[in-house]
Amino acid sequence: MEEDKIKSVVRDAYAKVAKRETESLKVIPVSRCCGSSNGDLAHGISRAVGYNEDELASVPEGANLGLGCGNPTALAGLHEGETVLDLGSGAGFDCFLAANIVGVDGRVIGVDMTPEMVDKARSNARKGGYENVDFRLGELEHLPVADRSVDVLISNCVINLTPDKAAVFNEAFRVLKPGGHFAVSDIVLLKELPDAVKQSAAAYVGCLSGAIMKDAYIETIRAAGFKGVRVVEETAFPLDCMANDPTAQAIGSSLNLTSEELDNLADAVRSIKVVGEKP
Amino acid sequence: MKSELLNILCCPVCKGPLVLEVESEEAGEIIKGTFYCAVCNVYYPIDEGIPNLLPPELR
Repeated sequence: MEEDKIKSVVRDAYAKVAKRETESLKVIPVSRCCGSSNGDLAHGISRAVGYNEDELASVPEGANLGLGCGNPTALAGLHEGETVLDLGSGAGFDCFLAANIVGVDGRVIGVDMTPEMVDKARSNARKGGYENVDFRLGELEHLPVADRSVDVLISNCVINLTPDKAAVFNEAFRVLKPGGHFAVSDIVLLKELPDAVKQSAAAYVGCLSGAIMKDAYIETIRAAGFKGVRVVEETAFPLDCMANDPTAQAIGSSLNLTSEELDNLADAVRSIKVVGEKP
Repeated sequence: MKSELLNILCCPVCKGPLVLEVESEEAGEIIKGTFYCAVCNVYYPIDEGIPNLLPPELR
């Protein structure tokens, strides 16, 4: 797919997720990997990828759409008073967690390219009375954020969706203050995907076909200038966990993959948590 | 958008400063207005409190 086409496909898909009521998330069958006792898919996925109950209970209802693949805020080691930037902030979940830590003297900025998500995030911020969080429409490859203005940058399962990952990490480097750092959760590959999956828009939106090889991902981060880049956690990412909207079910059925092919696919996909610093 | 966040905003294309024009404001929050980048000669709208700082070709 061409870059512009990718962006509009991703934007349209996530606009639909944003508009969907929380209630309808619950009618999707809860998968084996993400299952939870209360039957709430977003909740189950979030527990599986590293959020605890206190964190889940501390954000406005509707902020957590279960679209993450890690808990970058926990990884980021935030402090009171810091300025935090969330790339691809969605309905605001990670921003609100960060806001709870940086407090009234800190601030959190969420950037997302999907208007429906930013609307939802803003209304969630109002609902939760967050004074220190601000959302804006923007593109990760062209951040509307001033040079050297951010202490900590986080991102949760979004950079894989961007066609130009080098541009995203170059921008991340630019906006961080010297001594600033990032914590990112994302999807990478250990082996190349089958062509049918690579070509699939559903697989792109579902965080699969936009993912690049792990080594290339890490190299892209280093090439942007970051030091101390390291993968602090790497987990197999059950395809079922990507099923929250742009679904693995859609990928499985629309591509007519056999269960063996799906297992192969699962072997190729990893969720990683990466950290690094701007010298 | 909160006005105190202005200092960390920039034009997404040239990274230069933006000039803010406020049309309506509520409790320190800008509800409607525009940002203007003189270098690019581009206006970025603020609607319902949300600055649209997508590059022009992506809006």
